[in-house]
Amino acid sequence: MERQIINKKKRVFSVEPNKIPPSEVFTRKYTRLLVPALKKLNMNKNSSQANQLTVKHEVDMALALSAQEFAWSRFLLQKLSSSNNPTTTTSSSSNGIRIQKRSGKEGGDEDGEIEEKMRELQKLLPGGEEMNVEEMLGEIGNYIKCLELQTIALKSIVEDTT
Amino acid sequence: MLEGLVSPENLSLSSMDMNVLERLKWLQQQQQQQVVSQSSDNSPELLQILQFHESNNDELLQSTFSHFQMLGSCFGPSPNMGFGPSHEAMDGCISRTSSFQMVPVDTMGVMLKNSEENRTISSKNKRKSEVKRREEEKTEKKIKVEAETESNMKGKSSMSNNTEASSDTSKETSKGASEIQKLDYIHVRSRRGQATDRHSLAERARREKISKKMKYLQDIVPGCKKVTGQAGMLDEIINYVQSLQTQVEFLSMKLAVLDSELELAVEDLYVKQDQTVIIQKLLIIFFLFCYEFQLQAYFTNLPVVNASKPSIMVDVPLFPLDQQGSLDLSVINLSQTTSTEAPSASWETQSRSLFNTSSLGFHY
Repeated sequence: MERQIINKKKRVFSVEPNKIPPSEVFTRKYTRLLVPALKKLNMNKNSSQANQLTVKHEVDMALALSAQEFAWSRFLLQKLSSSNNPTTTTSSSSNGIRIQKRSGKEGGDEDGEIEEKMRELQKLLPGGEEMNVEEMLGEIGNYIKCLELQTIALKSIVEDTT
Repeated sequence: MLEGLVSPENLSLSSMDMNVLERLKWLQQQQQQQVVSQSSDNSPELLQILQFHESNNDELLQSTFSHFQMLGSCFGPSPNMGFGPSHEAMDGCISRTSSFQMVPVDTMGVMLKNSEENRTISSKNKRKSEVKRREEEKTEKKIKVEAETESNMKGKSSMSNNTEASSDTSKETSKGASEIQKLDYIHVRSRRGQATDRHSLAERARREKISKKMKYLQDIVPGCKKVTGQAGMLDEIINYVQSLQTQVEFLSMKLAVLDSELELAVEDLYVKQDQTVIIQKLLIIFFLFCYEFQLQAYFTNLPVVNASKPSIMVDVPLFPLDQQGSLDLSVINLSQTTSTEAPSASWETQSRSLFNTSSLGFHY
């Protein structure tokens, strides 16, 4: 009888376990990766321009490394490791163009429009162009999540330093 | 002819704005009941058409229905096939439907090869399904139509030859319309009595998957729920992703500028944050352990505590249950966060090992 009580308690224990929400896992990994990297960068400070690029590099690297269960992170890592000056995220100039193009094209084939938008989306996602549409849609979902968490983490880091 | 069909029902139904629709529905129900009850080998296409019409209420539909009937009567003799209708008013349409049924393949084939018809019908379908969506429940209808189409697909194979050629054209026409409205696609398929279903099945499955994912994205991306249609949603998603990426860029630039001031304070900050979370979780577990440990102490001999994993060092004196709140936590020292997870995993094992490997030093 007492054994049962104890066993029951044990069951309660095991509910507790390693159930850390994935967003927390990601954020923790991300900050843990990024901050030391930034500190290291801080040590060897170069010109501001190069610094920015390297910071960007580190930021993206941290993102890729903290989300390794996703396909897009692999592609991101590849891109980062392959090129010295990675342009992993879209430059702001092309954003405006894209948005304007959307408003300009009103008629036309609905199907084609949607496909075109899918292609645009694929371009946004690292490695999106190598995936097919369904896969890409799924990956975009968690890419967005990770981006959000990344912005939160970055914001908190920036706020801490100011 | 149409008026003849419709007038008696018009008198019976007195609803205001749904007059035509309800009338038609009732009409079709009657027809369907009679046709179904009186003919065992009712051609599935006809059934589909009737059910399809039943589920799509529109004035335009009436005209198409009448069109079908006219064609049917044109192509085949229009004798009364013994479908003795009880309603006098139903006479005309029953006979027409029966004649329609007599030469199902031809009439269907001819009608379907009329691509204009298809386009108009598909466009009407679109409108109808829009109306439908607002009025009735999607899922039930979908299931019903799917069930029909599933059963019908298995049923017939003769239709495939005739309608294969037309299927492609109408599939293309329906594709544009149905990209946004899946119901529409299903309707079109059932209407044609399509039997080349491998493609349409696969496509339908694909579209369902895609729409499921779009729904999930809709939940994630803020402001996506107000926009209807896949194109608008995709736009929103694209904008959102772009804005997130620019935000990250901006923040990283800011970081680069402020990099010089990045000190150990930040490191301590996040480490401390991690620690607090872990401490909180451990607290709960420790409390529970103390409780259980005391329980066991009361009933059995205390097992020898082997501190195998010295990562967590807590000196917890054995105290009565009511003093658990006074657990001294300042002694808790977490060297690494990863090491906390190892003991927590081991805590889920058996009772003895739980106490043994937790490395809690109990003094008693």
